[in-house]
Amino acid sequence: MRPRWKKIFSDLWGNKLRSFLVVASITIGLFAVGMITSMHSILTEDMRTSYSAINPANITISTDNFDDDLLDRVRKVDGVAEADGIRLFSTQVQTDAGEWVLAEITAFRDSNEIVINQPTPTQGQGPVSERQFGVDEYKFGYLGKEIGDNLLLELPSGKQREMPLVSLVHDQTIGASQEGGGYFLSPVQLYTTLDSLPWLEQSESMNRLLVTVDGDSNDPEYIKQISELVIEEVEDSGLTVYTSFVRGSEDHPNSTYIEAIASVLFVLGMLVMFLSAFLITNTLSGLLGQQVNQIGIMKTIGARRGQIVGIYLLLIFAFSMIAFLIAVPLASRIAYGLLEVLAGQVNVVLTGFRVVPLAVFLMFGIALVVPQLAGIYPILHGTRVSVVEALSGISSEQATSREGLVDRWLKSLRGVSRPMLISLRNTFRRKGRLALTLITLTLGGAIFIATFNVQGSLNSYIGRIGKYFLADVNVTLDSYERISEIEAEIKAVPGVKDVEGWAFARGELVMPDGSTGEAVSLLAPPAGSQLVVPMVEEGRWIEPGDQNVITLNERFHEIFPDMQPGDTITFDILGDEHDFQVAGFFQMAGRSSGYLAYTSYEYLSDLIGQPNEANAFRITASRPEISLQEQKALGQEIKRQLEASGYSVTQVEAGQSLTETTTDGLNILTGFLIIMASLIAIVGSIGLTGTLSMNVLERTREIGIMRSIGANNRTLRNLVMVEGLLIGIISWFLGTLLAFPISILLSNAINYALFGATVAFTFTIHGIFIWLVVVLILSVLASVLPARNSARLTIREVLAYE
Amino acid sequence: MAPAAKIDLSCALIQIENVSKTFKTPAGDFPALKDINLCFGQAEYASIMGKSGSGKSTLINMITGIDHPSSGTVRVADHDVHHMNESQLADWRGRNLGIVFQFFQLLPMLSVLENTMLPMDFCNQYAPAERENRARLLLDMVGLGAEANKLPAALSGGQQQLAAIARALANDPPLLVADEPTGNLDSRSSTRILDLFDELVSQNKTVIIVTHDSSLAERASRRVLISDGMLIDETMADALPMLGHPQLLRLSQLAVNRSYEPGAILARHDNGKTGLFVITQGQVEALRIFRSGESEVCERLGPGTYFSELELEQDERSVLAFRAVSDVPVEAQWVSHEAFYHFLGESNAAENALRKAATERFGHIHRQVQPRKSFWWRR
Repeated sequence: MRPRWKKIFSDLWGNKLRSFLVVASITIGLFAVGMITSMHSILTEDMRTSYSAINPANITISTDNFDDDLLDRVRKVDGVAEADGIRLFSTQVQTDAGEWVLAEITAFRDSNEIVINQPTPTQGQGPVSERQFGVDEYKFGYLGKEIGDNLLLELPSGKQREMPLVSLVHDQTIGASQEGGGYFLSPVQLYTTLDSLPWLEQSESMNRLLVTVDGDSNDPEYIKQISELVIEEVEDSGLTVYTSFVRGSEDHPNSTYIEAIASVLFVLGMLVMFLSAFLITNTLSGLLGQQVNQIGIMKTIGARRGQIVGIYLLLIFAFSMIAFLIAVPLASRIAYGLLEVLAGQVNVVLTGFRVVPLAVFLMFGIALVVPQLAGIYPILHGTRVSVVEALSGISSEQATSREGLVDRWLKSLRGVSRPMLISLRNTFRRKGRLALTLITLTLGGAIFIATFNVQGSLNSYIGRIGKYFLADVNVTLDSYERISEIEAEIKAVPGVKDVEGWAFARGELVMPDGSTGEAVSLLAPPAGSQLVVPMVEEGRWIEPGDQNVITLNERFHEIFPDMQPGDTITFDILGDEHDFQVAGFFQMAGRSSGYLAYTSYEYLSDLIGQPNEANAFRITASRPEISLQEQKALGQEIKRQLEASGYSVTQVEAGQSLTETTTDGLNILTGFLIIMASLIAIVGSIGLTGTLSMNVLERTREIGIMRSIGANNRTLRNLVMVEGLLIGIISWFLGTLLAFPISILLSNAINYALFGATVAFTFTIHGIFIWLVVVLILSVLASVLPARNSARLTIREVLAYE
Repeated sequence: MAPAAKIDLSCALIQIENVSKTFKTPAGDFPALKDINLCFGQAEYASIMGKSGSGKSTLINMITGIDHPSSGTVRVADHDVHHMNESQLADWRGRNLGIVFQFFQLLPMLSVLENTMLPMDFCNQYAPAERENRARLLLDMVGLGAEANKLPAALSGGQQQLAAIARALANDPPLLVADEPTGNLDSRSSTRILDLFDELVSQNKTVIIVTHDSSLAERASRRVLISDGMLIDETMADALPMLGHPQLLRLSQLAVNRSYEPGAILARHDNGKTGLFVITQGQVEALRIFRSGESEVCERLGPGTYFSELELEQDERSVLAFRAVSDVPVEAQWVSHEAFYHFLGESNAAENALRKAATERFGHIHRQVQPRKSFWWRR
């Protein structure tokens, strides 16, 4: 081996702590990029693959009851590959804790031959038979049951029946026929067969048509065209189309949410890599600083600067490759591990662990380029040193340096002990290195604090969304009833203050060219309702006396970017087209919600033929701000009251359940934010460890002299610890300041990704104090090894140091 | 200051011309070298000696190109050293110069064999297959053949310095420069190193060592003295070893070159105002001239010797005179009477040393005489 290559190898192996720091600096950046790329790639690929494997419906039509005849007719429509039907209905089921919760039941024609929207059995007997339930994994835990247990459900007549839970399944189509957060807001999902329905007091007929298209099943325009033909066929059969929904075969219902997470992780991953680059520069500066003497020696024995630069670039390359070899399996494993947690949360089936070529390629490319770029300045700077400076150890800058502001301030300090002054001076001795360390720690701290502010911002936004659902209890009846009667019944329950009857309808947007557009949910509170506090972004809210006036959520701007208050919009409701005048636009949950519109109760109830009647009621408690448990208890009381009076209740829901569910969904995101924040904290601590180690190494002689005049181990350790803590505290202060703009940027990025809208900045103080504790701990930990090394040096070693 | 002695800059290997070096420090500018003129020839074994802070390491750094002069030129083996860029300089240095440092400066992570091979590697000297053999030969030559695969930390100081010398010889440079090569070594190791230098000189290499140790400096065939950034006249230094460097430097500055025809009287007691003479060329005889007119030759003085008016004390019967004899003109560095006594007035130690030397040299001629009365400028 040529001596210069031997030098590279020896430099790598000789100082293990230093090599570890350099490799760790590079690994962390590669790891972040690799992990995020792997996660994104596997998740999107498996999402598409596993979703398309279940033959998901491209077209879902909600219609009147139908039988196999309609299916035969639809199958003959041009462009239709397959058609199937299910019956979908909701009921109340009782959890193990005795609570009644909403469940949605899907009845298949033949569970052994499910052609479209195939649920995947994961436990139990597999396909269900008559009078048996399968249950989806997602909300199975709510029931508190085991597979094999019986589930009590309430029939429309009020009777209760039990059916066994025989199979656990994974249904990837939950939320597929709804926009936005349908999956997260979905109730417990149960599956049975059509022949079970009479026993459940349901019609043994289908009410949902599922269609797949031939040709390009991922082309929305093409699917829409086929959908129009199918709708025509359905209507020609004399049936009413209530809603229709189209979706590509690879368009997973939660893809929006997943893309939002991926984009956030991408931003954070890039930030970690950026920090890592700073860290690499700092660590390599230290490495080169320790090599100055050797650089001088090499120059005296004939090495040209280019040769020396080449040696160190090769050394960096060696470090990079080691980091690459560590980062690839680490990133792949951890990415898949995190995905296994995430996949269940977002209803994706993973196909198995693998190393993602793109991630490897990216990591390799970054390993080749970033460390070299980060190291080029320290290398060029270090190799520029003159031989005389390199061998004497005194730089011309040091020899001619004048006292700066900081140095004069330090000198002016009074009442500070000498050892403390030494620590203070040492901290500011190498201002360039201190600056690099502070940049790393400060940025890291700012991002760390920002993640807490973002979490607060998200929670705040969810809170604002909750203002659309201010009722303590939401009750849905099986049928429309007179509001006055229901109001009287409910008010008889102790603890109830007010009752509002709301109208609700599902409709479809009618496009200017007459084609059918997106499905829309229309909500209609009574005039002057206090149970909605909207975030109006343009125009106005609906007012008492409004007739065919409507306010739309922000999603409508995606379809009609130029639509303004005063324009007209047309919906197909129950088969009839109705024009509405747009009063304004309100901010809801962006792309995480569907297409929502609010209109006046009086107008909508007339429109749907149910004046002075409602099936949805909003109740407020007499005591303000009751807890979720109290809301649930009140809801159960109301349910008992209504059922005792002969009314059939479909659903009773506590008002806070919605925000709780939404918060749960976003916890995944904040969990990832905390993981990235932890990575960032690790980057910072590596940087600090490196800086303190280098500082100790450079002061070997000084430490030896202090020993010779009485400094004991404790004094020396304290010197280093104080230096570390000082740097940590300075970075904390600067990081707190920097956290404000970074929080705003990050918060806007995340909110825009999730909701398609930016939100007001929310500041949470606990992030600042958590980071203070973290950075103090990191500072102490980062100081431990260098402090111990400084205390271990003997005078003899110091004297022999030269 | 007296004009610089005429330097023959046609010396073959190293020519230093009007070199000055000033360091900028927080305390102000520090002139480390002041108008140095010096040269070294091929196969010369020279020492550069001076006290700590005299500028000897700075001077050697000018030769090796490790540092650059503030003014003046340095030519080594026909190369204008300081007109090369750093890369050219490094390459040139690797091929033409071997440097040995006081603290060895071996790369700690490479074995001594690898350290020795490294210069060949950088300068692409010798075919790759030859390099290891050559390195082993060099290590054998310095007596480290058995330690070739050891790391420097496993060797004693002396062994490390020998390894450093082997490395310095890797590319067979014509010039070897050693800065305090034995400064960190015991006497036995020092002797070994110096024997090695003798051997290298016999192989026609030029060896320049920098040292503060006079016993080491005397091993060299030529001694260059430097004090306070200025060169001490070599002949002056050879002639007046009893004086300290500052005094020698002072005399070097005060002296002027004088030439005398054969037979001319350079000085006699009754001439008055004789001063100090250091003979650089020719022969001078010390004459005792009796009152009767007869004379006898007491001593013959050649280049590198001196006499001063302190030797010209007379007795009742004779005076002492110094006469140029050879058939070539006598050249001498002369310090005038006024300057000489000003010099004596500045340093009691110098005066005592010179007087003592005068007594020892010519005391058998004169009776013990009383010291001269002080002139007004004496301390």
